[in-house]
Amino acid sequence: MKEFLIIGNSAAGVAGIESIRKNDKQSKITVISDEDYNSYCRCLISYYLSGEVKEDKILYRPESFYKENNINLLLNKKVVRIDPKKNRVILEDKSNLGYDSLLIATGASPKIPEITGIKKKGVFGFRTIKDAKEIEGLVPVTKTACVLGGGLIGLKAAYGLKKRGVDVKVIIGSKQVLSQMLDFESAQFVQKRLEENGIELILGQNVQEIIGNGDIKAVKLDSGKAIGCSLVIVGKGVSPNIGLIKDTQIKINRGVITGELLDTNIPNIYAAGDVSESFDIALGRHAVNALWPVAVEQGKTAGLNMAGEKTNYQGSVGMNSIEFFGLPIISLGIYKAGKEELSLEELKLSQARSNNYKKLLLRNNVIIGAILIGNIKNSGIFLRLIRERTDISTIKDKLLQEDFAYPDILDLIKEEERIYV
Amino acid sequence: MKKLYYKVDKCLACKSCEVACALAHSITGELYKVLKEEKISLPRKKIYSSRGKNFPVSCRHCKEPKCVEACMAAAIKFDQDKGMVIFDDSRCVGCWMCVMACPYGAIRPNIKEKIPIRCDKCKDKDEPACVKACPTAAIIWEEEKEEKK
Repeated sequence: MKEFLIIGNSAAGVAGIESIRKNDKQSKITVISDEDYNSYCRCLISYYLSGEVKEDKILYRPESFYKENNINLLLNKKVVRIDPKKNRVILEDKSNLGYDSLLIATGASPKIPEITGIKKKGVFGFRTIKDAKEIEGLVPVTKTACVLGGGLIGLKAAYGLKKRGVDVKVIIGSKQVLSQMLDFESAQFVQKRLEENGIELILGQNVQEIIGNGDIKAVKLDSGKAIGCSLVIVGKGVSPNIGLIKDTQIKINRGVITGELLDTNIPNIYAAGDVSESFDIALGRHAVNALWPVAVEQGKTAGLNMAGEKTNYQGSVGMNSIEFFGLPIISLGIYKAGKEELSLEELKLSQARSNNYKKLLLRNNVIIGAILIGNIKNSGIFLRLIRERTDISTIKDKLLQEDFAYPDILDLIKEEERIYV
Repeated sequence: MKKLYYKVDKCLACKSCEVACALAHSITGELYKVLKEEKISLPRKKIYSSRGKNFPVSCRHCKEPKCVEACMAAAIKFDQDKGMVIFDDSRCVGCWMCVMACPYGAIRPNIKEKIPIRCDKCKDKDEPACVKACPTAAIIWEEEKEEKK
């Protein structure tokens, strides 16, 4: 009998529970969450805001999940410090809990820029179901909303509000949307689609100040122009929740540094999900990939290791998939060449008229990244080739063809083929 | 648990399986009516040719399914009892994470209906429609072979 403790109850935490229970039905598992809600599909809060997903479909696991898995679930409790020497965590209410094995799956929080007025009522991050519910409550009295940031979170918030009939203006510091996911050319496809659907994009501008006495009246841009609005959503990225680890001997950089077992430098402490800084296959170094699928695979691996089934984590790849107004968008790995990367080869297909864009980035005949817009069929094959660092020189001329598919990579993969006999 | 296997040398790429699959998943199940249905039924299986051979590609119902890990809406699950990956379209938001994650390219997006298209082994029928339709017996429906460890 061991005592497992998991801090965090989202993708990584739940995957951790399921992995531990696969091997160990007996030991005690305690899960602590600072949210007041059973595990839910965090990425669906924009669809909840838009009205497309009702509350009954937002739970990630049924209510019975914790009971069935014999989990001691502590909601609305915040861990403020970990004491690795004593194998204990200290909670905000001064109580403390011991563990034999600990999973840090604390996730991330919205980055809030330091601008005048940012603390005003009516300014929200867009991360939790609580954020979504509070914003939803203001929809009937909101004519115009400003979204700060043109990343995935900002655009999803904009989409949700637009669907509810709110006028939305997205204010973006860079010259394109989704700059953490797309190159400039492919971003144009997305911008066109968003604008056609009534979302206004203001590029190359930051908000200097949020104006209003009490309630929000407007935001003031770099250019000096003021835009009237009563609701502000901040989508300026997220940073790992590592406050509880600061000043301990657990190694951190941007996130918690994890090894091959998703363990930290303290042997009985693991980290997974948005808080973990783990090996990135495409980059060839450690990175934080704050993404749902990555959190699930990390939570799963960490859980297996915690329960004694030694499993190496192969590493993550930055990956994201989203659809806006019928336009599917997928980004994998290294999606644009950095200044230092002059030797990258680019294979590209760009068809503005049919909303089709496909780009692959190659280093020494190995795919390290891709962008697919419109026709996203078989994108999983590109992800696989990135993950497995496959030399694609023999199929290079096929990669962008319409009929490229799994059989074309059969000779290149290590997996033993079972279904073709 | 029964699984689909393919004798690649026998496959002529006649696409009878694709047609049978689309029909089996349509409302009317009759070829001349299918094209008039509101939601066009698309085949869950596709034949691709590579180096002179033809390969049917469809969901393999992996035991460690990447699509399930990737699904941010908990719409795809691996059902231990049925030994297959099952899909709940009432939960799907059409984000295409599953399409992005499938290492076989076996999930195709139906962009219009916002649902992923993937094999359900014809659910409760005793034999999938593609097996019955294959004129060369290239598709085999049999108990899963033991995996070598």
